[in-house]
Amino acid sequence: MVRHASPTKSPAIKVTVTVTLTVAIGGALWVPIYAHLLPELGDFPFFYWYQLILVPVTAFLCWISYLLLRTESAALAREREREEARQ
Amino acid sequence: MNHLDGTAFTIVIVSFLVVTCIGFAAARWRPAEDPMHLNEWGLGGRGFGTFVSWFLLGGDIYTAYTFIAVPALVYAAGAAGFYALSYTIMVWPIVFVFGPRLWSVARARGYVSPGEFVRGRHGSQGLGLAVAATGILATMPYIALQLVGIQSVLTVLGVGGNSSNVFIRDLPLIIAFVVVSAYTYLAGLRAPALIAFVKDTLIYVTVIVAILYIPSRIGGWGHIFGVSSAHLKSVNPTTGKPYGNLVVLPAGQWAYATLALGSALALFVYPHAATGLFAAKRRDVIRRNAAMLPAYTLVLGLIALFGYMARAVPSVNAGVQAGNGNAQLSVPLLFSSMFPSWFAGVADAAIIIGALVPAAIMSIAAANLFTRTIYKELFRPYASAAEETRVARLASLLMKVGALGFALELNKTFSINLQLLGGIWILQTFPSVVIGLFTRWFHRAALIIGWMAGMAYGTVQAYRTSGGGQAHFGASAAPVFGHTTYIAISALLLNLAVSAVLSVVFKGFGLQDGYDETKPADYVADPVPAPAPAGGSAGRRERERERRREREAAPAHVPTRAAARAPEAPPAHVPTRAAAAAPTRAAARAPEPAPGAGRATEPAAKPAARGRPPWDPAVPWSLGAAPEEAAVARGRTGAAGATAAATGAPAPGKANAAPDDDATVVFDIPASLTRRPRSQERPLRRK
Repeated sequence: MVRHASPTKSPAIKVTVTVTLTVAIGGALWVPIYAHLLPELGDFPFFYWYQLILVPVTAFLCWISYLLLRTESAALAREREREEARQ
Repeated sequence: MNHLDGTAFTIVIVSFLVVTCIGFAAARWRPAEDPMHLNEWGLGGRGFGTFVSWFLLGGDIYTAYTFIAVPALVYAAGAAGFYALSYTIMVWPIVFVFGPRLWSVARARGYVSPGEFVRGRHGSQGLGLAVAATGILATMPYIALQLVGIQSVLTVLGVGGNSSNVFIRDLPLIIAFVVVSAYTYLAGLRAPALIAFVKDTLIYVTVIVAILYIPSRIGGWGHIFGVSSAHLKSVNPTTGKPYGNLVVLPAGQWAYATLALGSALALFVYPHAATGLFAAKRRDVIRRNAAMLPAYTLVLGLIALFGYMARAVPSVNAGVQAGNGNAQLSVPLLFSSMFPSWFAGVADAAIIIGALVPAAIMSIAAANLFTRTIYKELFRPYASAAEETRVARLASLLMKVGALGFALELNKTFSINLQLLGGIWILQTFPSVVIGLFTRWFHRAALIIGWMAGMAYGTVQAYRTSGGGQAHFGASAAPVFGHTTYIAISALLLNLAVSAVLSVVFKGFGLQDGYDETKPADYVADPVPAPAPAGGSAGRRERERERRREREAAPAHVPTRAAARAPEAPPAHVPTRAAAAAPTRAAARAPEPAPGAGRATEPAAKPAARGRPPWDPAVPWSLGAAPEEAAVARGRTGAAGATAAATGAPAPGKANAAPDDDATVVFDIPASLTRRPRSQERPLRRK
């Protein structure tokens, strides 16, 4: 009875997105995996470089999820954006 | 540190003047056809694309206080301060999940604040009021803390720091704040959005230079970590325990994780973050930014490392000692002792401007909340858009004055305590706002009682914690069942438990639940924005001229907007959308009487001249028609527009075949609700 405005994504995509986002959140939330001094990366203890590297990794995972969930085709989006930029 | 640093001070003054000019000029940026609308003043026209939103949200969330307080915490306590990094890592995947839904429903229903959404979703004024009050209470000390950030920079600069007269001492702060209030009053959200560009450029430059330059001057990262580690292991004479550690010890891991999670969950429930979200132009902007805003998180992580750098510089340690052990001076002191004067000035300017941007956004957000959820809801249900804007402007001034009073009159620790409490309080609105986006399983009365329970528990628990030399409000974490847990999280769990149990009970007794004015399609709506508003003034003027020509060419008897605008449906570059949108828009507008019909003498010309901001009646939610017509039109356009946006395929035929079940909902109001006629009349109160 409820009309969903966005086209339904396949379950595979939903599962993938759930997994990527869970990994992104869990990587920071599960403290015991990174609360160590070693191995060091160029004088940086593991605790610090792990978290600093996790930042771009999370960004990448979010970007993948965005691409998977995106509803309009890339070509159309580009065209729209160009149009908006021109205006 | 009390002598005035002339060069640095000059640079700070110059940047402040530049930013002030930008702030006032922002009133003319993307000029609105109807500036006296809360969408314009309070949300910058709801038209910020990915790029502007990135700066706005970044400027909004990564505040100067964060840039001062996080390294201060790292300076004092080591790894525990890095929870801020974990928290800002986690926040983006979380926003990715619920941000688009919040944006869509706010866009579809014209909400400008989370309080309004809660009121509409749960059909409960009381709950909306609770969310608004919590938001305002939590925001006020947050603004005050931005001032505290400015104060610590001014102290290090040697401005006004050593006068005994409160007024003279704080004069620079007062002047800065009056100026900010003035341009916020005039330009609304556009001012901080534009200034955010300057703020972030300065911050990025400062951080990159600092991270490349300082370590080489003080002996490299190995030395920095070594000195910090030695300090953290030494025993704090007041507590008899070590100051901290270079990694989070197992005993502190639960507190670290819950602090990070609680802060991440709370962030976008704060009104100012939600305001930044609502100002986006399209639904996609939110998700794209969730993937791009981590750039600021990286900067925050590097800034947190400043705390360790500061520890490795003896003159900073001496300066902090001289300032009564105030660790918040460590970063400004680090800049002034490491950089040449002029660059220290740039860095200080970055912090000061970095405080002004969020302070402006927060006051706007609180003003939006006050206007729509408290003023309009309780006192003036039929307030016009212009009146709303006037009230919001005044409210933003009041918020700033209040925050200034906080910062100047009250003890600084009081602000910090209140901010700690604010974080706990705001998370108690999470069930109503964020969970409400996904389910209405919770009963409205249960949510209110759960909120009360969470607030009471959180406040009492925070009051009972001692630490850092304070008997009360000493820490944000307290032991629960043997685990030291962020109080906001334990209060949230209590809140959820109470809400869940009471929901079952109330439903069992058949207690009337509220009327949900939102529709499932609202949560995934992605309205095609009107083609006009963005961009340079030249193209804009041209379009205006074109439009005027069209109007003049149109036969004079054409009475409705629909007919006047049909020919200027989106240009051919998106043929599918245009095809889908044009007929449905026309259909949406057909039943609508021209808004000015009663007073205006030339019904066709006047409304068309007002331009087409994205919320104009091209989209169904602001229909000025009678409720039944509105509902019918909403059903059609909502479905058609969304389908067109979603698939990019021509779908007009499909749209006409759309089931009209949405349309009938207006008549489905339970009999018991008819005593509250306002919920039915809501579609009427546009202007």
